Amino acid sequence: MPVTRLQNYVNGEWVDATAGRYNEIINPAHGTLLCEAPVSSQADMDLAIHAAEEAFQDWRNTPPVARARYLHRLIALMEENFNELSITQTLEHGKTIDESRGETRRGIEMLEVASGIPSLMQGFNLEDIAHGIDEVAFYQPMGVFGCIAPFNFPLMIPLWFLPFAIACGNTFVVKSSPRTPMSQAAFFKLLDEVGLPPGVASLVNGETKAANALLDHHGMQGVTFVGSTPVAKEIYKKCGENGIRVIAQGGAKNFIVLMPDAEIDQVMVSLLSSFYGNAGQRCLSGANLLVVGDDKTYNRFLDKFVEAARNIKVGDGLDESVQMGPLQNEASKERVSGMIENAISEGAKLKLDGRRLNLVGDLPEACFLNPTVLESVQPDMTCAMEEIFGPVACVLRAKDLEETIDIIHCNPYGNAASIFTNTGKWARQFRHEVVVGNVGINVGIVAPMSFFPFGGRKDSFFGVVHGQGRDVIRFFTEPKIVIERWF
Amino acid sequence: MNLNTMSAVMTFVSKIENDSASFYDKTVKKYPEFEETFQAWIRENAKFEKQVKQTYFGVITDTLESNFSFGGLDSGNYDLDLVLPENAGLSEGKKKAFEIEETIKRFYLEAARLSDGLMADIPRLFRKIAKKREDRILSVSSF
Repeated sequence: MPVTRLQNYVNGEWVDATAGRYNEIINPAHGTLLCEAPVSSQADMDLAIHAAEEAFQDWRNTPPVARARYLHRLIALMEENFNELSITQTLEHGKTIDESRGETRRGIEMLEVASGIPSLMQGFNLEDIAHGIDEVAFYQPMGVFGCIAPFNFPLMIPLWFLPFAIACGNTFVVKSSPRTPMSQAAFFKLLDEVGLPPGVASLVNGETKAANALLDHHGMQGVTFVGSTPVAKEIYKKCGENGIRVIAQGGAKNFIVLMPDAEIDQVMVSLLSSFYGNAGQRCLSGANLLVVGDDKTYNRFLDKFVEAARNIKVGDGLDESVQMGPLQNEASKERVSGMIENAISEGAKLKLDGRRLNLVGDLPEACFLNPTVLESVQPDMTCAMEEIFGPVACVLRAKDLEETIDIIHCNPYGNAASIFTNTGKWARQFRHEVVVGNVGINVGIVAPMSFFPFGGRKDSFFGVVHGQGRDVIRFFTEPKIVIERWF
Repeated sequence: MNLNTMSAVMTFVSKIENDSASFYDKTVKKYPEFEETFQAWIRENAKFEKQVKQTYFGVITDTLESNFSFGGLDSGNYDLDLVLPENAGLSEGKKKAFEIEETIKRFYLEAARLSDGLMADIPRLFRKIAKKREDRILSVSSF
């Protein structure tokens, strides 16, 4: 049977990329070939951007309420195809089906919020700023925006941006992840059914060349990126040089703080989900487990955590008994395994070795790791400082909350941090002082809802306004001030 | 089988609702005097299944712990004995229906208890369905 080859979606049509090279997209749980995705060229990206430029004027003149109706229809189609969209994510990424369904729901929520654009986009005004003179602020769309998507949430992350951008009256180009392009292809099939005017939204599959073409094109007004910190920094710099807007969300090293009064039995589920959900491949995953308290408290927490982590069922994400899927590809597994080895060489103790596989079912081992717990981790060790992006918990200790906050502040990242405690004073101090973009209080994954901005500070975020919610409306619009007087 | 994940629990909900509906569908032929009640229960089972699925798909975005929230829930504890012998009398039929409803009620209550850490919607619905099952148990007793 011939292998399916993905196409680009440009100017309202499915088209072959001009480049002759294709990437094989492999199911990480089974090692089987799912499809091939084109490695698009600069010319392919230029075509998409040109179509978006051509579409802009008519689209911006389409009333916001009419633009929102396209989103309403798209929401209905996504609901109808909810399971198929979710299965696609699991197939190409490996995450469990529950995780994929959560991702689909999050994606739909972005469209739901964006469809409120007639309210969200409103400006403001004041009569009589001087005698007989009024002043009005309109928020206007700007033109073509684009998104460079990561592999870890292949459906949802482009939807942090696309629905808001087009609802505002802009046009948009998605450069999908070369590792997980199928989810966007499935989404654009639905988008095609909705009948958006050609060029309003386009999809280009590709790698660095296509991404650079998006960043460097003179027709672009702004770009969003979610991925690693080194690349986020590069993109931020490049967008600055090119004079375009940017939201660049980088990596993370999130601390989960367990205070001595944390309800360990109740929080265990949150901890497991935080450290091992999505096999640790999300920018809001717990990475460093910081335990505050004496030896007795520490040992009680750690023993329970290790036992619970050991019992996590690992396997094919489509198997409903499975609680953690594989890493997305072999290279990820090798990188994470290497970081575990390096941590041991730096003095960390292996409390639970996820490299010793225990899988549900007869599966190839290429992409799998079981949960790992590293103990005796010091704040300056590589494993505590750098993003592992895998199912590894690094356990550190602190004597009190002040030391805890100091340790968090020594880390270069600032995406999220959570505290588990029953003491309001500690929770309040943590919330107030900790320099991260998303704070959890007795919550393990601090994922902002679609109507709030997705926070991020320090090396986890480069830009001014953030994705989602009201922030992203400002990102996709430019205020125009009108001062008027009539004689 | 351990029902570790929300997804597995949802599949099990479909199974018990469909299995028990099919029991009543067969039983109604044996006891035509209860046709109205059993037909209503069959419709209600379909409604419960739909409501559970809708709730699950509606809140899965917020139930970030969905892979870990049902530790200890084992489908083996809720096996339904659906076979009613050809020559079974009314008392046997009542006993069987009672056991089925009692087992399903137990399942929903335990699933609700284990999922209290999830968004409230799911355990709330499970408890509501358990209450309906309790009503059915009282009905069966009064046959």
